[in-house]
Amino acid sequence: MKRLEIDNIEVEVEPGTTLLEAARKINVNIPTLCYEEELSIFGGCRLCVVEVNGGELLKPACATEADDGMIVKTHSPRVREVRQTLFELIIASHDISCELNCLTCTRQSSCELRVVAEDIGISRMRLNPIYRGLEKDFSSHSIVREPNKCITCDRCIRKCEEIQGIGIFANSARGPETEVTTFQDKGMGNVECTNCGQCIISCPTGALHEVYHSEGVWDALYDENKHVVVQTAPAVRVAIAEPFGAEPGTVATGQLVSALKRLGFDGVFDTNFTAYLTIMEEGTEVVKRVTENDNLPVLTSCSPGWIKFIEHFYPDYLKNLSTAKSPQQMFGALAKTYYAEQAGVDPEDIVVVSIMPCTAKKFESRRPEMNGDVDFVLTTREAGMMIKSAGINICDLPEENYDNLMGVSSGAGDIFAASGGVMEAALRSAYYLITGEELEDIDIKPVRGLTGLKKAEVPINEDLTLKVGVAHGLSNARKMMELIKEGEEFHFVEFMACPGGCIGGGGQPIRADMTSEEALQKRLEGVYSIDSSKKMRRSHENPMIQKLYDEFLGKPGSHKAHKLLHTEYTARGLN
Amino acid sequence: MVIEKKFLKGNPLKDISEYDFPGLRRALSLGQENVIQEISDSMLLGRGGAGFPTGTKWSLALEQAGDKKYFICNADEGEPGTFKDRFLLEERPLKVLEGLMIGAYAVGADEGFIYIRGEYDLPIKIFREILEDARDEGILGKNIFGSDFDFDLTLVRGAGAYVCGDETSLINSIEGKRGISRIKPPYPIQEGLFGNPTVVNNVESLACAAEIINKGAGEFVALGTDNSRGTKLVSLSGDINLPGVYEIEFGCGTLEEIINDLGGGVSYGNKPKFVIPGGLSTAALLPEELNCGYSYEDIEEAGSSLGSGAIIVVGESRDLVEILLKVSRFYMDETCGTCFPCREGNKQINFMLNQHKNKKFTRQEVEIIKDIGDAIAAAARCGLGQTSLSLIESIFDKFPEELIEEVRHSEKVRNR
Ligand SMILES: Cc1cc2nc3c(=O)[nH]c(=O)nc-3n(C[C@H](O)[C@H](O)[C@H](O)COP(=O)(O)O)c2cc1C
Ligand code: SF4
Repeated sequence: MKRLEIDNIEVEVEPGTTLLEAARKINVNIPTLCYEEELSIFGGCRLCVVEVNGGELLKPACATEADDGMIVKTHSPRVREVRQTLFELIIASHDISCELNCLTCTRQSSCELRVVAEDIGISRMRLNPIYRGLEKDFSSHSIVREPNKCITCDRCIRKCEEIQGIGIFANSARGPETEVTTFQDKGMGNVECTNCGQCIISCPTGALHEVYHSEGVWDALYDENKHVVVQTAPAVRVAIAEPFGAEPGTVATGQLVSALKRLGFDGVFDTNFTAYLTIMEEGTEVVKRVTENDNLPVLTSCSPGWIKFIEHFYPDYLKNLSTAKSPQQMFGALAKTYYAEQAGVDPEDIVVVSIMPCTAKKFESRRPEMNGDVDFVLTTREAGMMIKSAGINICDLPEENYDNLMGVSSGAGDIFAASGGVMEAALRSAYYLITGEELEDIDIKPVRGLTGLKKAEVPINEDLTLKVGVAHGLSNARKMMELIKEGEEFHFVEFMACPGGCIGGGGQPIRADMTSEEALQKRLEGVYSIDSSKKMRRSHENPMIQKLYDEFLGKPGSHKAHKLLHTEYTARGLN
Repeated sequence: MVIEKKFLKGNPLKDISEYDFPGLRRALSLGQENVIQEISDSMLLGRGGAGFPTGTKWSLALEQAGDKKYFICNADEGEPGTFKDRFLLEERPLKVLEGLMIGAYAVGADEGFIYIRGEYDLPIKIFREILEDARDEGILGKNIFGSDFDFDLTLVRGAGAYVCGDETSLINSIEGKRGISRIKPPYPIQEGLFGNPTVVNNVESLACAAEIINKGAGEFVALGTDNSRGTKLVSLSGDINLPGVYEIEFGCGTLEEIINDLGGGVSYGNKPKFVIPGGLSTAALLPEELNCGYSYEDIEEAGSSLGSGAIIVVGESRDLVEILLKVSRFYMDETCGTCFPCREGNKQINFMLNQHKNKKFTRQEVEIIKDIGDAIAAAARCGLGQTSLSLIESIFDKFPEELIEEVRHSEKVRNR
């Protein structure tokens, strides 16, 4: 153990503990901008500098290990003075002007610069901003980059490289002009970006944000000739109350429905319904392919970030992907066919909107393979902004129910939001499809939780034990693919691009007040609390689904189901 | 009257067939520990600017576990006004090679690099030939001079940034990465090139090491002052009649004498406006401060630093604002761009100076410049940033009447 003194308080910490961590242990908060717990140390912003043993040179707390006998001052007059000046420099480089200002910024209420300004008690701003005049990057269907707002903390670079294992960003240009950009400045739409949006979550400012679809949605809502329907993904309901001040994991399903009705949507549906359908189609496919030993393992296809990943990095395995469309796209396809028929609306007049925890869903909706089934995709954040700008506080609303027809869902859909959820739901149904019996131990624990790579064996009958795997976060996806390449045997593997699954999606609210790990844990608890409170927990027990097959699709895997609910993907390789 | 002391200087020595590497042969017979002991006894301080004891560096490197170690000669010489390494590389390259190999042997490195400033065409050509010849002659390779010492050396052409002279940036550059500094610790000695223990030494330090092993530590330690042993190659430049590289025994003459006796006096006006004693990152000294002995300790006492040994004389008729702008432009361009204080601070200072040609600065502006200077000095990530405003701040300090507006009446009242 190392013993030292921080701000006159004795502390004892494990060797290898940084001064930043040691200070947090005694509840002293040292401001940071380029630091993020799960990423490597960068030491660029220097806001965390502290005085060690009275030395002239201040030490970065994030990069300095605690040592015996150190006397550390985290907020001495000198340190505070230096921090104020550093912050002035950062703001001057951040170029706040008419075009670039806090009021129109996507991060107006979650900007880390504002949090830091408050933390260090900034009392002066004497420097003129230096305009950099960099161009915005609109090349991607999912993510926009505004380099003038970038403070070059490199968190996106490290997130993409270290957590997602992709590395589409890099520093370029020399010294003073150092900027963050994509390979050869090609733009995010022209490199191996998977659109997962994890970089957005890491960005302390508004330099990275989603491609907004909200204006298009407003236009559709204002257009009397349009019939606008909306679906909400399972991970949205445990996060949508956050922009209104609630804790992550607060379940606001009914309030969300009522807010959307007030906004003027003609139908509000639950993506869980088609999540459920995905399970039926995918489960049927798994059973068929396992029986016929056809291109095993079956890889799930509902995470569009993962899909783009496999298209770039493992194109040889596209044949292993389940052909089932994602729940979002199934909903769109059914809304413009079955639902149009039922509601007596011309499919041309139907506008399908999704609210997703995800930025990659925007790209998915624009895929040529998907025939425009979904017109607009809002992230949880955008939906929050729209609701706010309609003068609504979601927390004050009464609960309402989803519209019928596609509305009733079983719990199996809600856990789609968490890593392992698809697997668990599919196992429940596959077991039933094969054996005709219910899987007794319904909480299939080994596939739950935040462990990056999970494996389980589920005995189905005497001849068959299903070997399944779950990976979330793209670094883990790569590890899983390498295991598969090396010949490890699996029947069925679930992949989610984002760490933690959809609850940690790139479209979820950004917390300036807690780590993403903490937010994830709370949202996870919210998801499983919904699932265990639901009575009907097996996809195949949902009466609405039975009805849909009886009246419209025939049976799972039928020709019509294939035409509407299945798709194919594109081998992209490396750019 | 100062005169040159020839310890490192000598007749040009470039042809490998004319040189028998007596220092290296002696080192191989002494054994690693004894070589390091002798370097420690010589009290040699690194000549790259930071003045770290070379013997200590080598003994720490020898202690490092691991079979793979690297030895790097830092020949990037980017500090403005410094050109003494170039002299050694062009005139005494075999001494540099010898020092490098002695060091490599002493710390147990079997692979080395010499990183030569990209613009140094002639030194690069010379070293390219020497490396070829040395391999042909078996001076590089396996079992050198019949010992069990194996060593090979690779030449790397500098990527063209001042910051690549910083040892950690230099290591990144050799690895093919962006030339940006690394966070220390770990120090290169612990985790340097490709993650292995790595010693980085300046060209002149290595030439000194070669002569120390050649002639024995005694001769070296007898030269100079208590805290500055041996001689120093000084690059004299600026407004001076006889610019050039001069070798000076520490303590044998003052800065003023060096400028007048060796440099032939000031060329732009009658006396210097000020003198920069150790390269662009050291504080300016006024004419009345030049009566200061040439040693690490004396110049430090005068409030500056000996740095890389670049003495730049600025003649009395020079325009201060123009100089401030040039210095600031240099640091703004050469920041590696990684840490906020250095990148944004130097940009901001240059921006402010640019708005002020031919006008005096307000006291608030000077205060801002000083605040930025303090923040960079205290918080920048590497030596470049930490010292980037030493000169500019010292010029403001030393020429207040010329640069700063009079205190206004209203302020006098308020401050009463
Ligand atoms: C910005 C910067 C530039 C530097 N440039 C050089 C250089 O050109 N040559 C050099 O030998 N050392 C340079 N150094 C010092 C090196 O980091 C290192 O301390 C030195 O090479 C060690 O050699 P020595 O111990 O023999 O002096 C520089 C340091 C900094 C921070
Ligand atoms: S001080 Fe300057 S050169 Fe050094 S790391 Fe910071 S930005 Fe780079």
